[in-house]
Amino acid sequence: MSRFIKQSKSKVIMSTFLWVYAILSVYPLVWMIFYSFKNNDEIFVTNPFGPPSQFRLDNYITAWSQYNVPVYFMNSLIVAVATVVGAILLSVMFSYAAARLRWRFSKLAHTYILIGMFIPIQVIMIPLAILVRDFNLANTYGALIVPYITFNISFSSMVFYGFFRSVPIELEEAACIDGASIYRTFFNIMLPIIRPALATMVIFIFLNSWNEFTMAVMLIVKESLKTLPLGLLFFQGQFTTDWGAMGAAMTIASLPTVIIYVLFSEQVENALTVGSAVKG
Amino acid sequence: MNKFLGNKTAILIFIIPALLLYTVMVFYPIAQTFFRSLYDWDGLTEGNFIGIENYTRLFQDDLFFTSLKNGLIFAFIITITQIGIGSILAFAIADAKFRGRKILRISFFIPVVLSITVVCQLWLSIYNGEYGLINKVLELIGIQYRQDWLTDSKAAIIAIAFVNAWQFMGYHFVLLLAGVKSIPEQYMEAARIDGATKLQAILKINIPMMAETYKFCLVFAITGGLNAFANMYIMTSGGPGTSTYTLTYLMYRSAFRVGEFGYGSAAAAILVIECLIATLIINRFIARERITY
Repeated sequence: MSRFIKQSKSKVIMSTFLWVYAILSVYPLVWMIFYSFKNNDEIFVTNPFGPPSQFRLDNYITAWSQYNVPVYFMNSLIVAVATVVGAILLSVMFSYAAARLRWRFSKLAHTYILIGMFIPIQVIMIPLAILVRDFNLANTYGALIVPYITFNISFSSMVFYGFFRSVPIELEEAACIDGASIYRTFFNIMLPIIRPALATMVIFIFLNSWNEFTMAVMLIVKESLKTLPLGLLFFQGQFTTDWGAMGAAMTIASLPTVIIYVLFSEQVENALTVGSAVKG
Repeated sequence: MNKFLGNKTAILIFIIPALLLYTVMVFYPIAQTFFRSLYDWDGLTEGNFIGIENYTRLFQDDLFFTSLKNGLIFAFIITITQIGIGSILAFAIADAKFRGRKILRISFFIPVVLSITVVCQLWLSIYNGEYGLINKVLELIGIQYRQDWLTDSKAAIIAIAFVNAWQFMGYHFVLLLAGVKSIPEQYMEAARIDGATKLQAILKINIPMMAETYKFCLVFAITGGLNAFANMYIMTSGGPGTSTYTLTYLMYRSAFRVGEFGYGSAAAAILVIECLIATLIINRFIARERITY
């Protein structure tokens, strides 16, 4: 009996800890969403913690109309979508050739691409900035899209490679006998088979490029090309008093990724753990 | 079949775009970083070869040592908190049979999917000396103590590190949870039959068997900490004074603000070496004997 009580006691402690941490983890975000609906009086004096007394949309209107938020939002969207398309296309083609087609050095080429996962971007930022300038990509969307695509190739190639390896060879044999070309086999047979992997990687790359900060801050100067993580820095500095509009802009910026995560939480978590299995 | 899968044109079409882009945008720049660290170079002209002068200058620069120290403090704090708390949460969730597990998991992970800009600016308002959440909470519970967390040159780096720790704890939690789940059930059962307590089972079975997961988490947290940049860029711009500089920040300022691309490259080169040493040490000390199922 005493052991039973002891056990249930430790269970209570554990579950309390879990819920307390969950609140710590989410409350700051909720607090931000709350104040995005409040006026300054409520934020600073009368009601700093709780939900807004009434849902004011003024801050959202200010953020949307005065702080360029629509431009940043569109830029983020363009860059993220282009990166997803480019990175998926290049890596799926490469990993198919590396995993299934027969050529010398296929192992070597695969390893060569994988090394990219271990290279911190900070290390190559300076030459990369020079390259972007020399290729006349500076001040175009290409300044972000091309490096983003490149940096996603390594990880997604690794994931696709694993999937292609697990597909039985008989499928290609059948396609070959039926007279399909290698291109047709690739697009009509192989790609549909690895659809789960494609879905995971689309989400993963989208989240990555939507939130990318370090490269963006070093490669983009022009206001009209800034993505959300850069554009929102407009509010930088501790002395900003327009907290409401700041909260509204940040809420808008976070919505897409939070929604994607809540809807596809398992895919997102899978993508991360697949990466760790090989990287470690 | 060999002819089908050995189609030379198809192979070239499939591999050339990825290999070309990767070589030009990733591999060539690495070589350039090391090469250019030997130059006095403004990024525009040819530059002068000066040998290891940039490195000798670095080792005489107080800012370099501040940056190095901050990288280590940052890495230490995020490693301890993320892996420590992440482990406790992962073991607790793996064990828990109550409702709401899904909500808990999502709550732990949500900060990871936010943009670092959003997280940092959110915490700027939490740390705010006058209206910040922390000071408001202190006020609420009747403590008079006030602190403007980011303007104290000693506390600032710690305050910033906690922001990163808070944001990416969920990432480690998910990795560790996957690690816990990969351990075959019969091991835990055997431990239970032998009368081991939960804690004993975790310490003697779970943690040793998750060596590979821990290794990855350590590499990720430590190199992430040494590379830190965005947090200080957004929250303090390296300040107050130069008290929250890191090597990446030093590199950024040298190259993109002051125009000393060679000096910045030398800082980047040191950073690679530092991360490499950290990774080697972790690999040396963890998983010396691999456990097989």
